[in-house]
Amino acid sequence: MELQPIHPEPTSFIRKWIFSIDHKVIAKQFLWTGLLFLLFGGTLAMLIRWQWAFPGQSVPALGPVFFKDTGGAITPPTYTSIFTMHGLIMIFWAITPILIGAFGNLTIPLMIGARDMAFPKLNMYSYWAFFISAVLVILSFTSQLGAGNAGWTTYPPLSTNVGSPGWGQTFAGLGIFVTGLSSIMGGINYIVTVIRFRAPGMTWFRLPLTVWGLWLTAILNVLFVPVLGSGALLVTLDRLAGTHFFITGGAVGLKGGDPILFQHLFWIFGHPEVYILILPAWGIVGDVLSFFARKPAFWYKGSVFAMIGVTVLSAVVYGHHMYQTGMAPMLGLAFEILTLAISVPAVLLFVNWLNTIWRGSVRKTVPMLFALGMVFVFGAGGLTGLLLGTISTDIYLHDTMYVVGHFHLTMAAASFLASFCGLYFWFPKMFGRETNPLLGKLHFWGSVIFITTTFTGQLLAGYSGQHRRLYDPFQYDYITHLRDINRWTSYSAFMLFIAQIPFVINFFYSVFAGKKTKENPWDVPTLDWVACSSPPVYHNFDVVPTVVRGPHELGNPEVKKALGKDWISQTEEMPGEDLAHAAAAE
Amino acid sequence: MASVAKLEPRMRENFTQSLGMIVALGSWAMMFGALFFVYAGVRTSARVWPPAGLPALPIALPLVNTLVLALSSVMLWIGTNALIRGNRKVLPRYVALSFGFGTLFLVLQVKVWKDLWLSGLMPSTGIYASVFYGLTVLHAVHVFAGLIVLAVIFARSLKGTYTEHNAIRVRVAGMFWHFVDVVWIFMFVALYLL
Repeated sequence: MELQPIHPEPTSFIRKWIFSIDHKVIAKQFLWTGLLFLLFGGTLAMLIRWQWAFPGQSVPALGPVFFKDTGGAITPPTYTSIFTMHGLIMIFWAITPILIGAFGNLTIPLMIGARDMAFPKLNMYSYWAFFISAVLVILSFTSQLGAGNAGWTTYPPLSTNVGSPGWGQTFAGLGIFVTGLSSIMGGINYIVTVIRFRAPGMTWFRLPLTVWGLWLTAILNVLFVPVLGSGALLVTLDRLAGTHFFITGGAVGLKGGDPILFQHLFWIFGHPEVYILILPAWGIVGDVLSFFARKPAFWYKGSVFAMIGVTVLSAVVYGHHMYQTGMAPMLGLAFEILTLAISVPAVLLFVNWLNTIWRGSVRKTVPMLFALGMVFVFGAGGLTGLLLGTISTDIYLHDTMYVVGHFHLTMAAASFLASFCGLYFWFPKMFGRETNPLLGKLHFWGSVIFITTTFTGQLLAGYSGQHRRLYDPFQYDYITHLRDINRWTSYSAFMLFIAQIPFVINFFYSVFAGKKTKENPWDVPTLDWVACSSPPVYHNFDVVPTVVRGPHELGNPEVKKALGKDWISQTEEMPGEDLAHAAAAE
Repeated sequence: MASVAKLEPRMRENFTQSLGMIVALGSWAMMFGALFFVYAGVRTSARVWPPAGLPALPIALPLVNTLVLALSSVMLWIGTNALIRGNRKVLPRYVALSFGFGTLFLVLQVKVWKDLWLSGLMPSTGIYASVFYGLTVLHAVHVFAGLIVLAVIFARSLKGTYTEHNAIRVRVAGMFWHFVDVVWIFMFVALYLL
């Protein structure tokens, strides 16, 4: 393999841990940064929930520290900043780095049998661009006029100097632009690495579903994040250079620009973005369900084509975010049909998951529990989406808490549970140690129960007509009677936050003092576990493995008879087989 | 894939590098595509273009400028092809010519901006000026970045860094430069001619 020479391992601290080009170190950098921002974004969510349970009352513990001027209460401008930054941080600085940055970097080379990414230096730049964007978003909080407060969608005129004066929104916009650059650099790497660096015999249909999910995500990232980049750039020009792209004033063509254009740019990106966040989750869950049901993934090719189908369709449905913006009825109908068409591949994928665990020898490990939890919340979230994709029902539900509940179940709950599924699953690979299964199960049950109740509460409040983003919803007569359900939803959200404590204890304890892991603690057949050590050496594989079969060869009775175990690895041959020779000759 | 696997290692490395650049340019094209989308949105909803009281954009100088940037692309192309055939000596000359035409493009572009600015067209005068300055400045930023790349290539080519064996490094940079040129042709047609 001349393409992948073994480079000497760097010895200096800076080259090894800070400006590293090793995909495994970069994965950990993304993981740590992402987890920190997950805590940050989660804390902001707690503040929002406090406001909805007890509007205008002093926030316990945090209030006296952060909101001194008001005696600990959240003011309306602070409140808008909090929900804006909660959305932005969770999407761009928590889920993206964990699900794509960390797992993408860790698993792609290991699972396809590569010694590193195709462009290791670009990979390093990707992380450090992300780091700069993280600094920018934190700088946003230092503005006297408050952090970004135009909503995560940054619609003009809210995001112009009129709607959000000061540098808070400017820094948030620049942060989005820079983090977009980071995503694109990562995406280029993922795409090229999977195309060019697969081990001999690793055909496209022998790739684990995780790699498929991440690869398709990378394609969406590379194609659609630049559209958001353009939008963010033009808003920033409007704010700083005095241009009028999205600022109206007189009829278009005489003086002013058109704020609706930004909505188009935003959702051309924004809709693929929700699949950017869920495709890796689908991939990880698809693999993990198979591994721990000890059965091959049901209709693997069907799942792959379903994911490809969703990827393609996701590019042509963005109009369903703009039903209420005003659009020609024919166009609305087209977007409605395309949107509902996505449920076909999505349901196909879902049925494949259910068939995978059907009558399997399920091992109830922590990653498996999180995968099952993800299947549950994603199913619930997906069903609630049908009412939003249909124009006639969306007219009533638009901009209510129902929308918030829906996208949190799919994007937040499903991505969250899949992130932890992946984290518990690859923890031994990353750190060479095992996590405590008891604490892990505690974390799982707390998370899955309270994540479901929290977002179901939002669905119910929204279905009853509660508008999203209200500072004090109960000053409206028609919402007053929803005070109880809002309080209970908030209690549930607080419990969800508390349920993360076992994870924090487990994570730190296991990183430093967990039990040393076996090479392949889960008995799974993919290259990341069977062809390299845990944690892997610097160049991953002493010899690049030759792949002879698909990723889910589990529970095969013939294998059991010949080898006495219920699985056979992607590199292993059955007695009498000569597949490696054939693969090498390919 | 079987046919690719048979290629010699250098060709495989070349393929990986080119593929990376192609994917990156696809991403860049989407960025510029979004800008053209904004322009199309503005233009199709405008009754009068240019709006009354604002100067029309010149055509002559930008047309010359289009040719200048195209020449710059051609020079780099000739130099790179010579390098691939093993003629290392001519590379610095053609890279220098390419750099020169690229710089001339920026100089003429500044003149176009200055003339319009003096005749009263400023970004704050509205959407007409916003799309014009916004699109051309963002393109010029890419030209500037390309010029820095060309300068580095020129310095290295004088030192004899490039041979027919690693010509891919010049070629990949050239792909970016040609891309910037193609974007300009679209921009010239959209902004100045239509």
